[in-house]
Amino acid sequence: MQEVPSVPLLRIDSLRVESITPTSAPPFLQGINLRLMPNEILGVVGETGAGKSLLARAILDLLPEDLRVTEGEIFSRERPLSRLSPAERRAFRGGEVALIGTNAKELLDPVVTVGSQLVRVLRSHHRVSRREAWARAVSLLAEVGIVNAKERAHAYPHELSGGMAQRVVIAMSLISEPKVVLADDATLGLDATVSVQVLDMLVERTRKMGVSVILITHDLGIVAHYCNRVAVMRSGRIEEIRDTVDFLARPDHRYSQDLLEAAKARPIPWVRSIGKADTPLLEVSNLVKIFPGKRPGEEVRAVDGVSFLIPPSETLALVGESGSGKTTIGQCLVRLLQSDSGRVLFDGQEITTLSEARFRPLRRRIQMVFQEPYVALNPRWRVRHLVDEPLRMLDKLTSAERLKRVHGMLELVRLPARYAELYPYELTAGEQKRVGMARALISRPDFVIFDEPTTALDIRVRAQIIDLVRQLQSDMQLSALFITHDLNSVRSLAHNVAVMNRGRIVEMGSMEEVFARPKDPYTQKLLAAELGIEGIHGPQGSAAAKKKGTVD
Amino acid sequence: MSRIPHSLRSPAAVIGFALLFLQILLILFAPLLSPYSPVEADALASLQPPSAAHWFGTDITGMDVFSRVIYATRINLLISVVSVAVAFLIGVPLGLFIGYYKGIVSSLVMRLFDFIQAFPIFVLGMALVAVMGQEIWNVAIVLAILFTPVFARLIRAEVLSLRERPFVAAARCSGASDLHIMFGHLLLNALLPAMVQVSISIGMAILLTAGLSFIGAGVRMPVPEWGLMVSSGAQQMILGVWWVSLFPGLAIVFSVLCFALLGDVIRDLLDPTKTRRAVSTSTDIIPGIGGPL
Amino acid sequence: MLTGLRRFQQMLPRSLQIILPRLLLLAPQMFGVLFVTFFLIRLLPGDPAVLLLGNMATPEAVAQLRERLGLNDSIWVQFIAYCRNVLHGDLGISIFTSHPVLTDLMERAPATLELIFYAMILTVAIGLLLAVVSVVRPGGFTDVATRIYGLAAGAIPDFWIGLILIFVFFSKLGWAAAPFGRIDAMLSEPPYVTGFYTIDALVAGDFGVLHSAAGRLLLPVITLAVVNAGALMKMTQSVFGKVWASPFVRHARASGVPERVIIRAALRNSLPPIITIVGFLVGFLLGAAVLVETIFSWGGLGQYAVQAVMNSDYPALQGFILVAAAFILVVYLIVDILYELVDPRIRV
Repeated sequence: MQEVPSVPLLRIDSLRVESITPTSAPPFLQGINLRLMPNEILGVVGETGAGKSLLARAILDLLPEDLRVTEGEIFSRERPLSRLSPAERRAFRGGEVALIGTNAKELLDPVVTVGSQLVRVLRSHHRVSRREAWARAVSLLAEVGIVNAKERAHAYPHELSGGMAQRVVIAMSLISEPKVVLADDATLGLDATVSVQVLDMLVERTRKMGVSVILITHDLGIVAHYCNRVAVMRSGRIEEIRDTVDFLARPDHRYSQDLLEAAKARPIPWVRSIGKADTPLLEVSNLVKIFPGKRPGEEVRAVDGVSFLIPPSETLALVGESGSGKTTIGQCLVRLLQSDSGRVLFDGQEITTLSEARFRPLRRRIQMVFQEPYVALNPRWRVRHLVDEPLRMLDKLTSAERLKRVHGMLELVRLPARYAELYPYELTAGEQKRVGMARALISRPDFVIFDEPTTALDIRVRAQIIDLVRQLQSDMQLSALFITHDLNSVRSLAHNVAVMNRGRIVEMGSMEEVFARPKDPYTQKLLAAELGIEGIHGPQGSAAAKKKGTVD
Repeated sequence: MSRIPHSLRSPAAVIGFALLFLQILLILFAPLLSPYSPVEADALASLQPPSAAHWFGTDITGMDVFSRVIYATRINLLISVVSVAVAFLIGVPLGLFIGYYKGIVSSLVMRLFDFIQAFPIFVLGMALVAVMGQEIWNVAIVLAILFTPVFARLIRAEVLSLRERPFVAAARCSGASDLHIMFGHLLLNALLPAMVQVSISIGMAILLTAGLSFIGAGVRMPVPEWGLMVSSGAQQMILGVWWVSLFPGLAIVFSVLCFALLGDVIRDLLDPTKTRRAVSTSTDIIPGIGGPL
Repeated sequence: MLTGLRRFQQMLPRSLQIILPRLLLLAPQMFGVLFVTFFLIRLLPGDPAVLLLGNMATPEAVAQLRERLGLNDSIWVQFIAYCRNVLHGDLGISIFTSHPVLTDLMERAPATLELIFYAMILTVAIGLLLAVVSVVRPGGFTDVATRIYGLAAGAIPDFWIGLILIFVFFSKLGWAAAPFGRIDAMLSEPPYVTGFYTIDALVAGDFGVLHSAAGRLLLPVITLAVVNAGALMKMTQSVFGKVWASPFVRHARASGVPERVIIRAALRNSLPPIITIVGFLVGFLLGAAVLVETIFSWGGLGQYAVQAVMNSDYPALQGFILVAAAFILVVYLIVDILYELVDPRIRV
């Protein structure tokens, strides 16, 4: 490093960003003061709409067209960015400060090979021959952990997995040797084990290259494990900016305390109901679901001989990463998919062989809460109609009676009664999830499948949803199948856990048992990839990285 | 603020609705508004340039162009609106069924549409009218035949993507039947792009009707029809007589423009993503709205 | 059997894997087109033989044609007979010109193709340029101008704007050539090479003819382009605009890639849908040529079809429709193949 260490790489002085059209709304960013030192990893954490991504875009001078910096200045190595000429500004982007964005597959040009895309970026910043640039691209791809980089450089983005694409985007950000990398929720949407590998790699590479990182995230676990300092953002301001260890131990602000509290697991305080447990409510044995593969004659065993029991008013969590077959099981249970073999006994009755007409009356008792809240609600229906649809289909009630039930349900999921007249797009993600639950619960089912109820929610909203589910479980004596990859939420919600990998259950047992003493290597790997916030004493990478000693 | 949506107050919407209103006026009050009979020839007044007596001049047979332009609104809009309405009423349910049920019948219907649409639309229309006989109603029937696949395909494409959406699976879990899913869930969502297409299709139908009449494959003289009127002035245009063709042509332009503008307005009005974006940007920056707990 | 075929297919290079199945698909499509053209004439009330021969035909000629068309047999036998005739190049005899329809069509095809060819080039140039500029510089003058043009172009009847252009540029200003055919009546046609007068004149080195032919092309080509470029522009705007707003373009910008490189990349990404749109454009142009040829006395297929309609010349009409549809099918075929070739995401 040729810099004098005391000069910050990036300095932001009282930055304020506002809409160009005058409104009474508060500014999008205000009073942002920040210094990024060499060799530092700074975490920026906050909920949706806190202004984290906007901050990254402001640094790169790529704000949305209707927003402007109205106050303050950003300095890159003490050079004010507002004085840069357009050509210098272009060279600055990617040359000095590079961006790693969310959802890597969309960040890559779909019709150009990944190698050429790296070459494109490199040659935008350095005068290198095409051949030399290609060689650099290939070697960097190998360094970010892409196996067989020489061949993979010729691959198109659609041929890569999400984790691979993210590595390519990281390589793209590093190829022109910037001083600072902005990682904006870089691992969002990746499986936990992949996410940890990618983050470990990112930290290791940037350390080696002497690059400082601003790690923007909504996940306190990532902050706790990877960042030296953390800035907490809320509605366009930085609430506090501190050393990570201090922050975790004693957050200054009320808001920070709330966030940390919400991210912690809640122990299960309730006892199991005894007595009824002798006959299980749901009994699945040897369930198999086969999908046709990509090539003719090929088949994929998405669910491969799965068996489990769920006693009345107990919750089983089905955990596993994407593609493990857990959602397929849920869809087979509510007959959205027809299973290929195996038995499903619900309350003693075999349901896989029932005709749709004979199964319909049972739908009242078996309900499902769908994963993505917005797309699982018909966008053109009011909440009132969305919630009472099961009643209209399955019961004969007058509309006044239905409306009464709807209001009752909305109250149960903690939504005001006036929400009955709203459309889904008028609700926040958390409220949409609640509507989805109200809809599933209105027919007073005995058994409910929750498909990923906590994904894609902000920290506090997620905690609220978890609390709500816990309460519903105890109030309504629900039996539930809880499908998730969020291990932390399992701690708060499930009595028993089944760990799935490639269509099979690799380990099953009581929650405490499985989490405390995992036997199967896959379960161990999953638990190692979990970035908890308890008992952290400084940036250290993931447990998996520590155990292996090196990354990749 | 008034309750009128923003998209209805844009200049495009104002012009579109004004033109529509004007056309409705012309249709309803044609006899009151036109100074002469639209079909009465006056050999003494042949090819008179625009004047106080004949605002738009007269054509070669001495018919008043102004009166004919007004009366033609009736014929042209009648043919276009009726044909598109018929195509819509047949095409929408058809598209719903062939989108929802994947079977031999559905793919046969799709192949049939492929064949119909392999022909350039104007060429096929011309041939059909020529074969069926050149009458007003035949033109409308032909246009209905040509537009039915357009609506059916549009609805089918919508249904194909909609039926994979989780809210359909959610409805099935609530015990909804196929019919309920088709008409309760899918139709409503698929219909809105079709509404935009209705407006655009009416404009296209006006152009096609006029084009057919222009080459002599549509309605016949002396019926007042815009395309036919342009055609009747075509020979004189080269000689410098511009008014016979100019005014009916302008009428076509404004009429089609009206429906194109209204199509845009409907698109803006009914696009839920636009509304959603507007709402979410306003709530995302307000802290603590994540839930009322 | 099927898997064997698939395996064989997978051994071929990607381009052949795309082209071969498409070619196989052409046969049933052509069959479908034959089906439609055949039943089109059956819609007519009355004796098809009389219709096809015209009212002047002798009873013997009618009986002979009835025999040849197999009109005394069932409709399916007739259809097969029709297909056989078409395959042998027999599209019937035109009532109006008394020539074989196929000869008539072959004679007139180059005129129409030349018109469409130049109209297409101008349309694509105008449409793409305006679309790209308006998307890259939103809110500018071009953006507003293109919005107005896009609306207006969709509303203007091509036959009417053609007449207006003739009135202004020929009758009033005298700048443009007369709207009477492809070439000055005083000049003789260039020796036949491609059938395109401009190219044939260039080959023959006859610049007088070239000048005249190009001059005659000017107004009809502009007429076609002005009307159709609007639609192409609007569709390209929406395709290119979507790509321009996509995350990978933003990311390229954040990576410091120069703007012109980004525009090129975005255009490359918009190419597949644009190819499809251009394919449809050929269909539009062929339909529009029917009207525009009539106005400019072009003497091509379109004018032939209009004459056929006015003279109730059904064999000519049937032949024209068949050829037009076959032409469009081939264009769509080429479009489909190009589409898949330029998009690496398409799995073969």
